[in-house]
Amino acid sequence: MISITEAVLLLLIIGTAIATMLLRDVLAAIITFAAYSLSMAVLWLLLRAPDVALTEAAIGAGVTTILFLVAISKTLRPSTDRVLRRVDWKVLVVVGLFATVMLLTVPGIPAIGDPAAPAVNNEQVSQYYLDNAYKETGVENAVTAVLAAYRGFDTFGEAVVVFTAGVAVLVVLKEEAFT
Amino acid sequence: MSADRRLRPYVESNVIMTVVRILSPFVLTYGLFVMFHGAESAGGGFQGGAIVAAMVIMLAFAYGMEPTRQWLSNRLIVLLMGGGVLTFAGVGLGAMVLGGDFLEYLEYGSVTASKYGIELVELSIGGIVSAALTGLFFAIVHGFEFKRGEEE
Repeated sequence: MISITEAVLLLLIIGTAIATMLLRDVLAAIITFAAYSLSMAVLWLLLRAPDVALTEAAIGAGVTTILFLVAISKTLRPSTDRVLRRVDWKVLVVVGLFATVMLLTVPGIPAIGDPAAPAVNNEQVSQYYLDNAYKETGVENAVTAVLAAYRGFDTFGEAVVVFTAGVAVLVVLKEEAFT
Repeated sequence: MSADRRLRPYVESNVIMTVVRILSPFVLTYGLFVMFHGAESAGGGFQGGAIVAAMVIMLAFAYGMEPTRQWLSNRLIVLLMGGGVLTFAGVGLGAMVLGGDFLEYLEYGSVTASKYGIELVELSIGGIVSAALTGLFFAIVHGFEFKRGEEE
């Protein structure tokens, strides 16, 4: 059963997500999107995933918001009295169908903290990392051990993706230097 | 009027400038702490790098995009980004040279070597992420200003 804090947080997340979608003013949409990201970060923390929470707060609520703000500083803001945008019903039907299909898979996911969940109750994977991570790598944070040692090659790929993103921006913007 | 305001994307506010001046060393320290301490607690290179980048962007908001852009050297960004990838690859390939697999830290000796190897990898990730995010930000800002100069 979820606690009151989690229930309020989930309502806030759904509310800010819908507000981001419906608000006509781009600036307001970006601010509600940042609020959504921050609520998600708190939710990750409640779900005992502090590493994900830190990333969500720093990237989702922090840097992405600022990059969006820089991007819209070059666009024109529509000047109307309408607060919300008009809903396109055809799009709503398609998105609604897609969301329904996605939601139908939710009952198949094991409950949070379920000891019989395949990701937890697995001798070969999770339990192995928890038992041997410190002995084999010398780091106390099992997440870091998986990230930098057991799955280090994947992390190397991710780091190169970030590097490539930086280079790609220069190519797209036809710049020769970052600053 | 609004076009005039958009030419200056920052506020010359004493409050914001003072707050950012006091806050930024602490944010930078926290970012480095998250990078270094990722092995013992939550955090790591990605998160720490994003916090460091957020600090530089904060400076840009308080003191103006253009002065911050000129203060930040392109060489530093390229060095952090390219150096980070090369360090990460070096740590990984070094283990292969010694006869192990990619990133098999134990090839460097004891379990302590593995801990410091992971620390080094986290730091290089932090360098890549912080440099890429700040570089992205300033490249986008400059791209806009360049096109605005073209129009006028």
